[in-house]
Amino acid sequence: MKKVRTILCTLMAALMVFAMLSGCGNSQPSSSQTEPAAETPAASAETPAPSGEKIQLTLGIYPADTDEALIEAHKVYMENYAKLRPDVEVIPSYYKYATDNFIPMAEAGTVPTIIESWYTEPQKLIRSGYIRDITDILKARGWYDVINPSIRDLLSADGKIYGLPRDGYALGLMLNVELFEEAGLVTDGVPNYPKTWEELAQTAKTIKEKTGAAGICLLAQDNAGGWHWSNIAWAYGATLTKDNGDGTFTANLNSPEAIAAMEYTKSLKWEYDVLTADPTAENWGTGFQQLGTGGAAMYIAANDAVEQPTANNGLPVDKLALAPVPAGPGGQYSLSGGTPYVFASTATDDEVNAALDYLIVMGKAPEVTTDARIGLENDAKYRVDNGIPVIPRFPCWNNPELTAVENEVIEANKNVDMRLYQPYYDATLSDGNLRMEEPGLTQDMYAELTKVLQAVLTDESADVASLMETANTNYQTLLNDAGIGK
Amino acid sequence: MSEKAKNAISGWLIMLPALILFGFFVWEPLFESVRMSLYNAKGYTLTEFVGLANYRSLFASPDFVIAWKNTFMYIVWSLIIGFIVPIVIAVLITESPILKSVTRVAVYFPNMLPGLAIVMIWAFFLKPGDMGVLNILMSKIGIKPFTWLTTKGWTIPLIVLTMTWKSAGSTALIYMARISDINPELIEAAAIDGAGPLRRMFSIVIPSLFGLVKTMLILQIISVFQILYEPLMMTNGGPNNASVSIMMQVYRYAFDQFNYPKAAAVSVMINIVLTLITIVYFTVTREKEEAV
Repeated sequence: MKKVRTILCTLMAALMVFAMLSGCGNSQPSSSQTEPAAETPAASAETPAPSGEKIQLTLGIYPADTDEALIEAHKVYMENYAKLRPDVEVIPSYYKYATDNFIPMAEAGTVPTIIESWYTEPQKLIRSGYIRDITDILKARGWYDVINPSIRDLLSADGKIYGLPRDGYALGLMLNVELFEEAGLVTDGVPNYPKTWEELAQTAKTIKEKTGAAGICLLAQDNAGGWHWSNIAWAYGATLTKDNGDGTFTANLNSPEAIAAMEYTKSLKWEYDVLTADPTAENWGTGFQQLGTGGAAMYIAANDAVEQPTANNGLPVDKLALAPVPAGPGGQYSLSGGTPYVFASTATDDEVNAALDYLIVMGKAPEVTTDARIGLENDAKYRVDNGIPVIPRFPCWNNPELTAVENEVIEANKNVDMRLYQPYYDATLSDGNLRMEEPGLTQDMYAELTKVLQAVLTDESADVASLMETANTNYQTLLNDAGIGK
Repeated sequence: MSEKAKNAISGWLIMLPALILFGFFVWEPLFESVRMSLYNAKGYTLTEFVGLANYRSLFASPDFVIAWKNTFMYIVWSLIIGFIVPIVIAVLITESPILKSVTRVAVYFPNMLPGLAIVMIWAFFLKPGDMGVLNILMSKIGIKPFTWLTTKGWTIPLIVLTMTWKSAGSTALIYMARISDINPELIEAAAIDGAGPLRRMFSIVIPSLFGLVKTMLILQIISVFQILYEPLMMTNGGPNNASVSIMMQVYRYAFDQFNYPKAAAVSVMINIVLTLITIVYFTVTREKEEAV
């Protein structure tokens, strides 16, 4: 009996080991796919080329099934593309980047050739090794040198570039012109936007009194809170992370300037009472909802998101204005960055080139061709038809020829009064106005700042200086832990 | 080979498919995540062995200790608010002479709604300012609006309240099933001997529920320990970390930072703590159960 039991136990143990090994066995091929040497042949072997060895371009930037207007535009792109690259088979494969499914898809090798990501993601994606280095390809096309250098930095690591910008952006102050009108703050059709943060508090107060809507929507739910807030901090003269120049950083959240900026933010809630009911429930998307539906009159936002308050949240196209971020005692700055296109690490050079040619057809590349012009015109028409302001893109390419064509197309499809946007463009084009995100562990810093925002916006007796001190200590600890603190 | 051994073999054979599946889908990932927690990784691909470095660096995170504290607060509040409620519901429904099945469906109903929808409904309900449903209702009787979820000390109890609202009904059903198992003759006899409803409840119903109560308690602790989407949706861990939970740390490491080894390290710690709690709890209560 004892013997039988021993045999059974051995059998079971062997079985368990087998089961475990079979699990390991399954994961092995997929993990080896991420090794650069193995991936290229594997990818091309996996994708059977049906009629005559066509290159397959899986297009993650294709619109969702529900977005009929945009699909129409892409049908035209695809027709033009077929003429340009008859050797490529385009496979629409709508993919909206999401952090919880990207890595599993990448591990399984099912990420489309080209996808659109978010402004916060590139460095993280580069570290993860699931997007590919396109330096040589961009250099061969002569695109590398025309990317706006600050945006290029965002998309690069160790001198290699891993994506290219769809749009650049610079934060400004979006205004709901309807609410400004209702509050009597409009002169000659142009809203009297606040030039400084102090002025903003007064303007917001007037709007709240006259209309009942919140003056400004500040964010305090997630990292976007700290991201927006760093604009206020800069205006008060703060530098939130000190770059020591040797690859190390020092947290600087407890400077008098940063504390002053946070005190000001606190006063917007407790002294002026001009915020939305619950800033801790406001995020990037709800902010646009508040602005678009008349819940708030002002919101920190960028030129590349004008469809959010208008087409997505119902604000009439001519009732949106974009002003510069207000100034403070420390100056006036606009945070800038870019929304990137990135490429699956499994994509071959041919596939990446096919994708870049598609961008030319869309008019999103730094090349002016007939197709590109059609692409730009289609995009502008799409905007006009859907009530989205047609305004200049933020320059992500240093290509005067392209800019000229873009401006021509915008002029021809104008659907808004440019006086509502001009101060924003004037400010962002002025010297020293644009500022990239703070270096170091930027997202962790935003997280710390957001916690302080939550505390000061929900507790009237919160001690700003000590909260900023704690945030500073926390941030420094994280920097030290990551080996880049000093 | 004896008859007994033959039985044993066939028993094992019957269990074999389940064991294989269990090994593949439960144990293998479990070991894999323990292994992962000891490595650095790019995505899911392990790169170098780092020993306990991931665990050490967890303690450098400013949210880590707070998250543990909050998680225990969730458990404490869930025991205060949520543990008795289903038992009371079960006893009341069993004792109720009328509308039994209607009430049963009514208390179970919230459980049929999707979890995220419930969280959103409650978030709307508890919204601070003049637009929150509860504040609107309170203003009708002249009470000033309150800040609810954004008030530090209230956040966790309110989140626990919404969880209780959702799940009390289904737990009550389990208790009801146990109560209906009690021999009716026992209750009749007690009634004939002059025991009133309260006496019957305390002397017969509650003691016979004890074994089940014990299991439900540990199940509740385990499930509340893993609270994730309620605070994630309602407060995102705020205000100022007042409601951040340990599972949210796992989520943030894994999906905000793609740092799977650290996420695995936190998961392993959760696993160890839960195992310890379970062992201690069953050891402490074993005697009592045997007595019953």
